[in-house]
Amino acid sequence: MPLYTSSSDISGHGADPVFERPVPALGRSAAFALLIVIVLMLAWEAWVRSEGVTPSYRNSDGLWAEQRRRIAGDEGDGWVFTGSSRALFDMQLAVWENLDGRRPLQLALEGTAAVGVLEGLAEDDDFTGKVIVGVAPGLFFSGFEYRRQAMDRYKTETPTQWFGQKVSMLAEPYLAFYAYDFALATVLRRQPLPHREGVEFSREVRKLSNMERDRNTRLWDKVDKNVAYRDLVRSIWAENWMPLAELPEPVRERILEARTKQLDRAIEAVKKIQAKGAQTIFVQMPYEGHYATSEIDIAPRELTWDILIEQTGVLGLHFQDHEEMQGYRLPEWSHMTGSEADRFTEAFYGLVKRELAARQAAEGIP
Amino acid sequence: MLFNSLTFVVFFAVVLALHYAPFSWRVKKSNLLIGSYIFYAAWNPPFVILLWISTVVDWVVANKIHLETRQARRRMLLTVSIMVNLGMLGYFKYGGFVMENFQTMMLAMGFDYQPPDWNIVLPVGISFYTFQTMAYTLDVYLKRSAPAKSFLDFALFVTFFPQLVAGPIVRPTQLIPQFKLPKVASRQQLTWGFALITIGLFNKIVVADGLLSKAAETVFETKEMLHPADAWLGTLAFSGQIFCDFAGYSTTAIGVALCLGFSLPDNFRFPYAAVGFSDFWRRWHISLSSWLRDYLYIPLGGSRKGNLRTYANLMTTMLLGGLWHGASWTFVVWGGLHGLFLAAERWLAARFGGREIWKRWGPRILLALLTYFLVNITWVFFRAQDFATAWRMIDTMLTFNMDGKKVLPMIDVVQVIGVTIAMLAVHWFMRNRYLHDVAVALPRWLLIGAWGVMLWLIIITQGQSNAFIYFQF
Repeated sequence: MPLYTSSSDISGHGADPVFERPVPALGRSAAFALLIVIVLMLAWEAWVRSEGVTPSYRNSDGLWAEQRRRIAGDEGDGWVFTGSSRALFDMQLAVWENLDGRRPLQLALEGTAAVGVLEGLAEDDDFTGKVIVGVAPGLFFSGFEYRRQAMDRYKTETPTQWFGQKVSMLAEPYLAFYAYDFALATVLRRQPLPHREGVEFSREVRKLSNMERDRNTRLWDKVDKNVAYRDLVRSIWAENWMPLAELPEPVRERILEARTKQLDRAIEAVKKIQAKGAQTIFVQMPYEGHYATSEIDIAPRELTWDILIEQTGVLGLHFQDHEEMQGYRLPEWSHMTGSEADRFTEAFYGLVKRELAARQAAEGIP
Repeated sequence: MLFNSLTFVVFFAVVLALHYAPFSWRVKKSNLLIGSYIFYAAWNPPFVILLWISTVVDWVVANKIHLETRQARRRMLLTVSIMVNLGMLGYFKYGGFVMENFQTMMLAMGFDYQPPDWNIVLPVGISFYTFQTMAYTLDVYLKRSAPAKSFLDFALFVTFFPQLVAGPIVRPTQLIPQFKLPKVASRQQLTWGFALITIGLFNKIVVADGLLSKAAETVFETKEMLHPADAWLGTLAFSGQIFCDFAGYSTTAIGVALCLGFSLPDNFRFPYAAVGFSDFWRRWHISLSSWLRDYLYIPLGGSRKGNLRTYANLMTTMLLGGLWHGASWTFVVWGGLHGLFLAAERWLAARFGGREIWKRWGPRILLALLTYFLVNITWVFFRAQDFATAWRMIDTMLTFNMDGKKVLPMIDVVQVIGVTIAMLAVHWFMRNRYLHDVAVALPRWLLIGAWGVMLWLIIITQGQSNAFIYFQF
């Protein structure tokens, strides 16, 4: 390098010439490439729509974080729904709003034990309302958190993530292909390749629902009406399942330890919520088929749910105990169709109101 | 802000619009500077203060060094700059590492010392801009160049958003002169800039994140002994992932800068076609390797002070280069292995390098494959969270213990093998070529088709805005 060449000099005495990147002449290639992209995108979008997909909001971490922040706004004194996918699919916000006059917040996360969300609400001074917690026994008492990142996102969201979410939501309601189930890597991973011997492989859960702007969620029609698709979903639910007694000893021990830990965490969180005058209601939504076996095998009612309700002393509504929560159609054993969810929400709202009133009367509260 | 995010798409559109609006050059540079601060603050606004400290300290110190004639005082001023820059880097990046090792050392001496929790967030890209500003002051101290005449130009050099957080690490003489006269991209530059952005994002979003990351993650997070096929596939997956991730970032950065009319230097030249480790380091992270050569290896004496000292200098440079990548002993071992391979190559080249056989195709391809094999061994230490994982991987990869666990489904096997073969073929084809020459030589229909398909694949991969691997360094 030359001596004493100013960093600002372009071609001073002894200076190296400033690097200029060689550039090929590509003419109108960019315009033609853009044309190809448009054609391919139209074809891809058409294929996705031919699969029965209609555009809807993505069930993203950013959307959950946005809804969670509403509590810090002026909505912390209202109804909050949380839990896993059953609470997400089966509770319809519009029906509840019609009956109650106020639209609840939907904070349920599929495949995720709700204890983490409950703890967050317990620590949040802005939350003073009523939280209905969906308890899917196999998840709630296992501590499994498929959507942990959504909870983390709420705490650590950066300005760029916040802005990106806003931009994304401008496109989501118009593009069917812009769905997790049709991302290229996901599509590739479900291609029918030969199984590799000795590898434990679980198929990804397929698209099940459509989501609205405030996370109100309805089961995708295809799950209900397309028998092959419904059977596929059922086969994924039952895949690799083993009764607790047949699991290896260390795994069984971990499950039992997690059960105790989850109970302790939930009880602690409910106490904190009660201490600040807010309310918790636990609910077990209906399930059937494979889940009628697996849920009670991994988390028997008397060792989990009953203890939770007894030790917290809060209202607990189990579908086996209330007629209003029975008799709904669950195409893939776990979630209600949209119209059934409407019917369920209406009946469930009445049940909640009645049970709360009965408890108040019993406690002598006017 | 990530290049592979919708936020960046909007940000870049605004920056381009402002850059091509009828403002004075000074206003346009100010726009770029403000835009660069926004780009950085979009992660964590308070960390912009670190950029300001680095900018002000090096601006003041370099000017004083330039005017100062007393050597002792010049050295003292340089020390101030180095202390501030390395002090920030040390505090944020190596504080926890030092504490951890100090605790281990005390324990070995019989003291159960419990250090306070070190929950410090690492500012994105701190290693990159620290080295860039240090190069400026060192150049002035070593009288390789005089200080910049404009504070605005210098601040923009430190902060220029395309390469701020993951390089290329640009030298002052490469970038500051470009800020002096008005720059807007020609139509050709703009077109090529967008083509480079497409290639970079294709590498990152489609190949690194979409096709390879899952296999690498599955393998390196398995806590049991793996089947050798899985260990090798996971390592090859990471090998491809880190190249496509990092070279993808650099290519995008170069394209973004070119769209604004600025030229950034190459950072990668198809490294998996390297024949030997000195060739590899002329092709991998070029801006870091040349930085280490110019500001560490040569000042240590380079190869001018005898054989033994040369080997020692090589090892020191590569060990520190390893530590630059991360505060963990696994990175030091990674650097150490590269140092060892470079030293061994030097020793062998001095004895057998002149023979005719090495000019033939067959032996050269064999040497290239040997280099690729050894590079992959080093990646195991780079990627593994701890030594237990690294040793387990190396064990099964080299002993072919067939009792290990298989963890990769067939789709990953197909994707990793397919991408690896394609990547090696492309690297070998491009070994002595330049991208811009190939773009001109390709039939136009092929170029347009490839460009369109790459863009389409970027869009339908959707992406999850995964951070680039090198952001953590």
